[in-house]
Amino acid sequence: MRKSLDYIIEAVIFICGILSIVFVVLIFSFLLKEGLSFFKDFSFIKFITNQFWYPNSKIPSFGILSLISGSALVTLGACLIAVPIGVMTALFISEIAPKSIRDILKSLVELMAAIPSVVIGFVGMVTVVPLVKNVFNLPTGLTAFSGSIMLALMAIPTIVTISEDAIRSVPWQYKEGALALGATKWQTLRRVVLKAAMPGIIAAIMLGIGRVIGETMAVMMITGNAAHVPHSIFDPIRTMTSTIASEMGETVRGGMHYKSLFAIGLVLFLITFLVNFIADLFLGKNKNL
Amino acid sequence: MMKLSPKLSQKLSYMLLFIATMLAIIPVLIIIFLIIKNGYSAINWKFLTSMPEDGMRAGGIFPAIIGTFAIVMCAIVITLPVGVCAAIYLNEYAKDNFLTRLIKLAIVNLAGVPSVVYGLFGLGIFVMFLKLGVSIIAGALTLSIMELPVIITTARGALNSVPQSFREVSLSLGVSRWQTIRHIVLPNALSGILTGTILSIARISGETAPILFTAAAFYVPRLPDSIFDQVMALPYHLYIISTQIPNMPKNIIYGTALVLMMMVLTMSFVAIFARIYFRKRRKW
Amino acid sequence: MVNKINVKKLSCYYNKKCVLNSLSINVVKNEILSVIGPANSGKTTFLRTLNRMSDLEVLFSRAGEVFLDEENIFDMNMQFLRRRVGMLFAMPIPLPMSIYDNIVYAPKRLGLINKKTDIDALVEQSLKDASLWDDVKDRLHTSAMRMSGGQQQRLCIARILAINPEVILFDEPCSGLDPISTAKVEESMLELKKKYTIVLVTNNVKQASRVSDKTAFFLMGKLIEVDKTDTLFISPKEKQTEYYITGRFG
Repeated sequence: MRKSLDYIIEAVIFICGILSIVFVVLIFSFLLKEGLSFFKDFSFIKFITNQFWYPNSKIPSFGILSLISGSALVTLGACLIAVPIGVMTALFISEIAPKSIRDILKSLVELMAAIPSVVIGFVGMVTVVPLVKNVFNLPTGLTAFSGSIMLALMAIPTIVTISEDAIRSVPWQYKEGALALGATKWQTLRRVVLKAAMPGIIAAIMLGIGRVIGETMAVMMITGNAAHVPHSIFDPIRTMTSTIASEMGETVRGGMHYKSLFAIGLVLFLITFLVNFIADLFLGKNKNL
Repeated sequence: MMKLSPKLSQKLSYMLLFIATMLAIIPVLIIIFLIIKNGYSAINWKFLTSMPEDGMRAGGIFPAIIGTFAIVMCAIVITLPVGVCAAIYLNEYAKDNFLTRLIKLAIVNLAGVPSVVYGLFGLGIFVMFLKLGVSIIAGALTLSIMELPVIITTARGALNSVPQSFREVSLSLGVSRWQTIRHIVLPNALSGILTGTILSIARISGETAPILFTAAAFYVPRLPDSIFDQVMALPYHLYIISTQIPNMPKNIIYGTALVLMMMVLTMSFVAIFARIYFRKRRKW
Repeated sequence: MVNKINVKKLSCYYNKKCVLNSLSINVVKNEILSVIGPANSGKTTFLRTLNRMSDLEVLFSRAGEVFLDEENIFDMNMQFLRRRVGMLFAMPIPLPMSIYDNIVYAPKRLGLINKKTDIDALVEQSLKDASLWDDVKDRLHTSAMRMSGGQQQRLCIARILAINPEVILFDEPCSGLDPISTAKVEESMLELKKKYTIVLVTNNVKQASRVSDKTAFFLMGKLIEVDKTDTLFISPKEKQTEYYITGRFG
């Protein structure tokens, strides 16, 4: 009796383990199926190289170049802000801040990750957007730049947490060795610790990028939703994620437009899969150090 | 360019790192302060417990609160057992072979898939293919699949933190593997799984994109009858009233944001304090 | 002289590397067999194979046979085997629960006892047999993690006695203990052999000479020599054995 019960439970546990892989396969194959059925009617090359996104005009055009460049621009902007701040904060928290306030600083940084992205988007709308409009004297503050600022805030906790782990796992002998040779603490940090922690920091940055590319609500609320290839960071833009989120509600289920959004989803899935895979490679490397 | 002395350059660099840290911390404090300052005046019992009125420009947010609560609870009820079982399988049973590595890789990568892609998946599978329609259950299933890798990862961490030697002792006494897991591993991993679960609840409470086309309704001024109804949800409601409704009174938007933020932050704090508490009480 | 354990041509491999080479040895009932030898001689692998703990390791493989009372252990149910062949680990590992619960943990899971009075009696008897009862009888319900190292190791012995095995395997049981605690554990071993058959793996040659009836010397996965302890220590047949017990290597 007891034996058979054990057996049943173990079977359930095994099934759940298998379920997790079934879901990945399911998600991927589903996106693939919907996306590919779109590419049957619309060439993939045209899809990613054409810049005109007119899904509802009489002769529809499904070019996502403008959306890709929008995503890329806002991601690049966010990285330029978040990477230096994030890595420097990680250094400060792990190596310089007094031990007593280390955990407090870390929790404060991570607090940002807990705030829902709609809330961040809303705050961006009422603070950063008008600020950008006035400071740079623009017709609208809903720009890639405003989006980059808010997205940077959302990427910083990811970058700090993972970089800090990497910096802290640098063996103390490395530091002692450099210090014993007469280097100042800062020289040691910069030349020895930062170098040794680099794979982990790169992984942190990749995960931060993954977070930024996939972010939906905040970008939708503050980047202006204009589907064209931007000329500068002060242009309104539209990302892949916000296109899916804002248009899916109005599409005819099963139509070309509907399928094209799944095709965008497929592209997003592949990009983030790649980014995470790279991060994973670097993390693995760091562990074996 | 003049060369700085090592001492001076250290001082300047530390200053720079300190400024960076402040830049990382101050924005979140500003966000919280701003929302509390402008939102608290809207919060009262009536706001929390009454229906929205006048095209959402007046009245309360009760259905949105209930809707979010229903979706999140359903999601966690689905994802927690599956996730914990999968974690037990991976950590305690699975041999280190190709399939296992594939599963682990899949879990790591699933955690990075954008939430809006989960939304698409939920729309295609649950809403359309399984014909659940836009409903609480479709949204909950979508969120549960999104949260599954996170739950599996935290549960595995918790299981891993139980020393291997406890398992060896139990097995060496002739106790079966499942009994060992049930009576030695799980009780000692429970605190970690619990805090991870609270954090997951907090996270999915604030998610908008996955429920956008699977569960959330623009405006339903009544409570759901069953899990097959569509509902208003707090994050989606906040998105709507801050972008789609003209002449929306500011304090209602801030009030809604405050309620959502407080819900999420309170749960996060509970999880953090629970972690500290359990860590102090840990017996090994 | 009844053979309790009969090992026939046992070979063990770890990641395809041979760690135990065609080993044959007997363990007599109610005797203590010591296994000595330098590091990597395969003595711990030997011990962990006797109750098939080594079968839990992924990279482990084996050939040959081990008989427990004429029954091949590799054909037996693993849990049932481990109930008959208990094992004490090198470090004391109390489970994170009270002293009382540590003792009753396995008997309860195995369904050996049910009545509360039986359980109490079992706890008392096991602790007495491990000469720990007087130390802890007033604090049975406090955490086992708060005992001293020596007490913890004796608790681990009591925990094994509670499932009433036939053979007890000791894996360097005193490597983490001070001389006084070591003496106590050795004392209880001598007491235990009246009821149980014991295999002791030890790094401490003197300990082997103090407690065991027979001693086996392992080197690089091979059994070099096995004999009555007195004989082996006074006039070893093999040069390598002599070198090891006189401390010239290892």
